Amino acid sequence: MPTTPRNSKRTGACLISLVLLTGCVTHTEPAELFQLTTETSKHRAMQTRFFETPNEKELLSASAAVLQDLGFQVEESVREVGFLRATKERSAREYGQYIQRVLFLVLSLGKLLSPVDLHQKIAAGLITRPLNQAATRQEIRIVFYRIVWKGDGQTDRQYIPPGQQHMEMIRDPEIYQQFFAKLSKAVFLEAHTI
Amino acid sequence: MIQQRKGSMTAKQCVWGGLLIVGSLLLYGCSTPQPPQDLLAPSDAQLKLRSIQTRTFDVKDRNAALRGVIASLQDLGFIIERANEPLGLVTAARFAEPNYYDVISVTVTVRQDTKDRLTIRANAIYNNKPIDDPKVYQNFFASLERSLFLTKE
Repeated sequence: MPTTPRNSKRTGACLISLVLLTGCVTHTEPAELFQLTTETSKHRAMQTRFFETPNEKELLSASAAVLQDLGFQVEESVREVGFLRATKERSAREYGQYIQRVLFLVLSLGKLLSPVDLHQKIAAGLITRPLNQAATRQEIRIVFYRIVWKGDGQTDRQYIPPGQQHMEMIRDPEIYQQFFAKLSKAVFLEAHTI
Repeated sequence: MIQQRKGSMTAKQCVWGGLLIVGSLLLYGCSTPQPPQDLLAPSDAQLKLRSIQTRTFDVKDRNAALRGVIASLQDLGFIIERANEPLGLVTAARFAEPNYYDVISVTVTVRQDTKDRLTIRANAIYNNKPIDDPKVYQNFFASLERSLFLTKE
């Protein structure tokens, strides 16, 4: 059988290239992270609105009020640069994850008890900025992200302690739309998209 | 006969191979060993890093420059963590997406040099390890310039 060694060689090459590819995906060079990408303008459009008002302070305090309405606690505020940071902590339990956990447990014959998300901290960073020299138009950009803490689990005989963390940026346009809708109601002004 | 010739060929190859190894070893010996980093005046490396991390801009309004820094950091996907206007200080961080385990933090300071000139310095850290790759800072200042230019308009 002359084809088998060739085949095995081919699969080997495939495996190596796959490993290399996954290596490429998980690791990003720092220099690349300081470059604007094609996603940049999309995210910017989603996260930004502008208002026809000269009153930046009013806009900032209204934003704080809206965030409070949404259950956030303001953690940091700097009026001179129009900056607000707020967080809220909530449960991150989902039924789907528990179903998955049981499914994994059954499929792995009782060996894998995967950790589920227990707790999350949702954070928002908000920046207001005058758009023109006369400062009659103000821009607001808000970014939402969350940190999730997992519960405990077990693989085979090894216990997975609770408290494993993972973080993610929130890129659901609806959340941003909701925030800006509330804000424009609070300041009696229309929120223009850029 | 043929076998003998073959044998001599391999011997020749062996000799060449040996020469190559010895040559490369000699070459390796030629390259002077790097002196330990801390032995050489540390200020030299610091000076170089500082020049990489620093740019001066012909901008009068320090507050606008600080806002420009914040805007460009947001464009780059950074989360603003802290800002201090009197000191001209901004601290921000982001994940090394697509993985959410590595974190990059940046501290940017904006200082007024003269009336119409200011200095901006950025320090970046990748998982508690300082970044000294000039390309990182070049990229950052390129996007900052764009942001400052846009705010000026």
